[in-house]
Amino acid sequence: MMDYVAPTTLDDAYRALAAEDARCLAGGQSLVAMMNLGLVSPARLVSLRRIDALRGIAAQPDGALRLGAMTTHAEIAALDVASAGASLLAQAARVVAYPAVRAWGTIGGSVAHADPAADYPVALVAAQATIETGSASGGRRIAARDFFRGLFETALAPGEIVIAVHVPAGPPGGRARYEKLSVVAGDFAILSVAAIVAETAQVAIGGCAPTPLFAMAIALSDTALLAAGQELARQSNPPDDHRTSPQYRRRVLPELLRRTVRAAQELS
Amino acid sequence: MSDPVRTELTVNGERHDVLAPVEATLLDVLRTSLSLTGSKRGCNHGVCGACTVLLDGKLARACLTLAVDVGERPVITIEGVAGDTGFSAAQRALIDAGAIQCGFCTPGFVIALTDLFARDPHPDRAAIRSALSGNLCRCSGYVKIVEAAERLAGARA
Repeated sequence: MMDYVAPTTLDDAYRALAAEDARCLAGGQSLVAMMNLGLVSPARLVSLRRIDALRGIAAQPDGALRLGAMTTHAEIAALDVASAGASLLAQAARVVAYPAVRAWGTIGGSVAHADPAADYPVALVAAQATIETGSASGGRRIAARDFFRGLFETALAPGEIVIAVHVPAGPPGGRARYEKLSVVAGDFAILSVAAIVAETAQVAIGGCAPTPLFAMAIALSDTALLAAGQELARQSNPPDDHRTSPQYRRRVLPELLRRTVRAAQELS
Repeated sequence: MSDPVRTELTVNGERHDVLAPVEATLLDVLRTSLSLTGSKRGCNHGVCGACTVLLDGKLARACLTLAVDVGERPVITIEGVAGDTGFSAAQRALIDAGAIQCGFCTPGFVIALTDLFARDPHPDRAAIRSALSGNLCRCSGYVKIVEAAERLAGARA
């Protein structure tokens, strides 16, 4: 017996989530798919779509961009952004799934779902973003690197909701690039690289471990970039799935990293 | 399945009261409660695009939308695309280009093209391919579908 509620305030949402086996319903683009496949059947769905506090995109005094959890991929893809951090996120949003999924899928939902092959976690780790959460007992700010804990596993406690994502501007003169290697447009990544490049590069790698891999202060020579890629490949734990083998992912990682950094530098 | 709950939907301009369990998708309700079987159930997890509808004027997977969560947002299905005019421009273009074989994917493609041409009357090939990237066709190899869209783009002076 499944129950559905659609609160209009966060406090009402926290109360609704106190019920046993309650799940947040954001854009539904992953949760409803999993329900259809019989993978999950929550006792209660708490729809977040009527909560105004979860919407809106606002520049912060420190130059960061705050994106409400219910901001859709299409809204982020359409951002006209100056900062490297926000540009990285917008590039990632443009390659999430397909137009119909981008129209309704949300950044909060994607972040809370924590699919290891998803695009946002990689971009958020590379951009050194933080996740703002809320619950009946108060709010927290969690660095993206600490937020993603494992395969579909996050730092969220029971009853805690993703409220917003804060994306810092990045280093002065920084340039961003998100590269996704996939079998066909819209599929999850075989491998993805998110890079912010200034005097040095900071990168995150997706699709080849339960959580994004991260490295920073990488010198910009080919040798240094490939060496950093080889080190990340050693740290990786790539899946063996219908898309490709772990060996292939490790093999292409260093070169995809190098190309991503070069592509970032070529952007004006 | 949970007990049915009463849900109001506005589909193709008409209000409907339906009884459906919480886990029922918009696609389930369209096809079974409202007998609108133009939206097709292909993969039922958001990959194939055969169930694509317009929700609040935006593309949506009916299979990834819970009926109970639709609320006040109007739904347009393939049955509502042409209105009383017979065929819409997108439908006519697909017919003229011979872009339909078994037809199972066609409603989804028509909805995706309807959305594309509403935003951009003259899309180029890259924009067309991007707009259709969420729809699978197992017969045609897509060539004639893209040709149909290109003809429509060119015909719209």
